[in-house]
Amino acid sequence: VRLWRHREGDRSAREAQILGWLFVAPAVAVVAALILYPLVTGFKQSIRSGGFLFGEQPGYVGLRNYRDVIHDPTSQSAMRHTVEYVLVAVSLEILLGIAVAVTLHRVFRGRGFVLAVLILPWALPSVVSGVLWRRVFDPDNGMLNSVLLQLHVISQPHVWLASGRGAIVYITLVHVWGVLPLISLIFLAGLQSIPEEVYSASAVDGAGPWRQFRYVTLPLLRPSIAIALTVGTLLAISIFDEIYVLNGTALNTRSILIQVYNTTFVTADFAHGTALAFLLAAVTAAFGAIYALALRRATV
Amino acid sequence: VNQRRRLMAIAALACGAALLTAACGGGSSSGGASSGGSIRGQTITVMVPYDMPQKLLDQFTAQTGVKVNYVKLGWDATHTKLVTANAAHEYIADVAEFDWSFTGQFAGAGWVEPLDAVLSKPLLTNLKNTDAAFTANGHTWAACYSNDFRVSMYNKKMFAKAGISSFPATFDELAADVQKLKAAGIQYPLAIPMGATEGGVTPWYLLTLAMGGQLFDDNLKPVFQSPGSPGYKALQWEVDALKSGWVSPGAVSLDDTPTFDKFTAGQNAIVLATGPGNMPTANDPKTSSIAGDAALGLVPGTTGPGASFGLPEGLSIPTTAKHKDAAAAFIEWWEQPKNAIAIYHAQGSLPCGADALKQLAASGQLQGGDVVNAELPHVAPLFPAGAPIWYEQFSSDAQGLLNAAVKGQMSVGDALNQLAEKAAAHNQ
Repeated sequence: VRLWRHREGDRSAREAQILGWLFVAPAVAVVAALILYPLVTGFKQSIRSGGFLFGEQPGYVGLRNYRDVIHDPTSQSAMRHTVEYVLVAVSLEILLGIAVAVTLHRVFRGRGFVLAVLILPWALPSVVSGVLWRRVFDPDNGMLNSVLLQLHVISQPHVWLASGRGAIVYITLVHVWGVLPLISLIFLAGLQSIPEEVYSASAVDGAGPWRQFRYVTLPLLRPSIAIALTVGTLLAISIFDEIYVLNGTALNTRSILIQVYNTTFVTADFAHGTALAFLLAAVTAAFGAIYALALRRATV
Repeated sequence: VNQRRRLMAIAALACGAALLTAACGGGSSSGGASSGGSIRGQTITVMVPYDMPQKLLDQFTAQTGVKVNYVKLGWDATHTKLVTANAAHEYIADVAEFDWSFTGQFAGAGWVEPLDAVLSKPLLTNLKNTDAAFTANGHTWAACYSNDFRVSMYNKKMFAKAGISSFPATFDELAADVQKLKAAGIQYPLAIPMGATEGGVTPWYLLTLAMGGQLFDDNLKPVFQSPGSPGYKALQWEVDALKSGWVSPGAVSLDDTPTFDKFTAGQNAIVLATGPGNMPTANDPKTSSIAGDAALGLVPGTTGPGASFGLPEGLSIPTTAKHKDAAAAFIEWWEQPKNAIAIYHAQGSLPCGADALKQLAASGQLQGGDVVNAELPHVAPLFPAGAPIWYEQFSSDAQGLLNAAVKGQMSVGDALNQLAEKAAAHNQ
C-alpha cells in the first residue's frame, strides 16, 4: 500500500509539473512568435548588407552595420539629443513628480477634482498632445507668441522649435507634460504607503517639515524613485511622437528613434535601421537592469 | 486527479490553438497572382493617398464585376507601408501609389511589375508625355494619374491692393512686388515650405531649375555646391527671403500642405511652388477663405519665366498583388478620359493622358488652363533618366541639411557641401 501510494504521489507530482508546463506553453508560444522570432529575424537583418538597393552584394557583413551607425555623424547627433531628452525629462519628472505628489498627499478640498484633472494629459495619446502643443508653439498663430507679444515680453514672433538646445527643451516639456501624471501617481502611492507613526515619532524627536522630508520621506520613497526613474527613462529614450509632430525629422531635434524610422522606412535601409534599433534596445535593457538592481537594493 | 486531467486537456487544447495561431501568423500571405481567366467577382485593394468618390468606384464595379477596397492614407504613410510590405515580400495592395521619386528604389528592388506588357498600347501611347519619370531599365513601372508639376499661385485681390497688375516673370520683379505687397500690409507675402520634409525640399529643386541650373550632371555628379551654381544661389535665396521677412519665420517647420493652408486662409499673397491641381481647392468656398481670388502664375526665372519640374504620381501593380489582371483593368478604367476628368474634379489630380487633357482644356473646365498650357513647355523631369536608386537617401539627407541651413544652424556652403558628399557616396 505504501509503495502504491508512493508511486501515486510521484505520478501526481509529474502531472502537476506537466500541467504547469501546459499552462505556460500558450504564453511561451505567443511570446516566441511575436517577440523572439522578430528579434532573431531583426538581428539577422542587422548583420546583413543593405543589398543591391545600396550598391552591395547581399550577404552577411558581421558587425559592420553597427560600426557604420556608431560612426555616422547624424546618428551620433541623434544619440546626443536622446541623452539630452532623457536627462532633462527624467530630472523634471522626478522633481516635479515628488512636488505634485507631496501636495496631493495632503487632504484638501477639491483634491479629487485636481487628481482627475492631473490624469488628463496622461490619458491623451502623445500624437494628440503633440498636435495641441503645435498650436501653442506655432510662430505665426501660436498661443505662446500671442500672449508674450501682448505682454510685450517679445517684440516679434519667436520660432520656438528652430534653435538647437531650446527646441529640445520645449519638446521635452511637452513630453514631461504627458508623463508627469504617471510619475506623480507612482510617488503618491509611495507616500501613502509610509506609516503615519514614523512621522509622529520623528516629530516627537523634534524634526520639522524639511527634516521629516529629508530624513523620513525621501529614504522611504526610494523604491518609488527607482520605479519612476525606470519608467521615466524608458519613456524618454523612446520619445518619437512629440518630436515628429512638432518638428518632423529636423536635425536639431532628431532622436535616435526618429533616426531609426528615417533609416529604415524612408530610405528602406533595413540593415542599418535594425542595427541602430538593436543598439537602442541594448542601451534600454542596460538602463532597465541598472534600475532593477537599484530597486532590489532599495527594497531588500 | 480527474479534475487535474480535465485541466490538462483544456491546457493542451489552448496550447495547440496558440501554436496554430502563431503558425498561421508567421506565414506569407502573398498568395498567387491571378493570370488569365475572368476577373469578375474578384476584390482588389487600391492604395492611393487621395479621396475617391464611391459612386465612381461603383461604376467600375458595374462595368467589370470587380469590387474595390479603396484605402486612402497620407502620402508619407503610404510610402512607409509600401516599403515595409515590399521589403518583407508581403501582399499590401493590388494597385498602389507610385510617386516619381519611387522609380529608382522600387524598380531597382523589383517591387513592382513592369507595365509595358500589361497595359494596352493605346493607353501607353496616350501617357507617353509623362512616362519618362516612371521609366527605368527600359521599362515603364507606373501609369501616370496625377500630372503634377510646379507652378506659382497668387492672390489676385492682394495683388490689386498692392497695385500689381500681373504676376512677376523674373526674380527681380518678384523682389519688387514683394516689397509692394509688404507696403500694402501683407506681413509675409511669400509662402514657401522649408520644414525637414519632402515638401520642404521641392522648392529648392524648383528654384535651382528656375535659376537656370540642375542638381546633377549627366553622370549624377552633384553640381550645386559651388557658390556660383544655381543650386547654391537657390538655397541662399531661400535663406535671404526668410531674413528679409518675405517668408514667415515659422516656414522652417512647415510642410507643403500647412503652407498651402496658410495661403488659402489669406495669410500670404504668393505660393511660389504648388501643383495646378490645387486650384479647385483654393477657389472652393468650402475649403478656402480666398475663393475666387486664387490664380496661377508662371514660375519666375532670371530673365523670364523659369524652368519647372514635374512631380507626377502613378499607379503601379506590386509584384505581390493577388489580382494583377483586375489591377490592370482598374488602371485602364482610371485612365479613360471621362473617368480621369471626373477624378480631377473629385481629388484635384490633373490627368496625364493627352486625350483627357485636351478634353479638359476644350471644355473650359481646367482652372488656370492658359497658365497650365504656358507652363508645360518649361516642365522637365528633375532626373531626365528617371530618379536614381538612391533618391530616397538623397532626399532624406537634403531634408535635414537644407532645414538646418534655413534655420541658421549651418551655413549654406556647409549644408550643400555635406549634401554633395553624401550624394557622391550614394552614387558610387
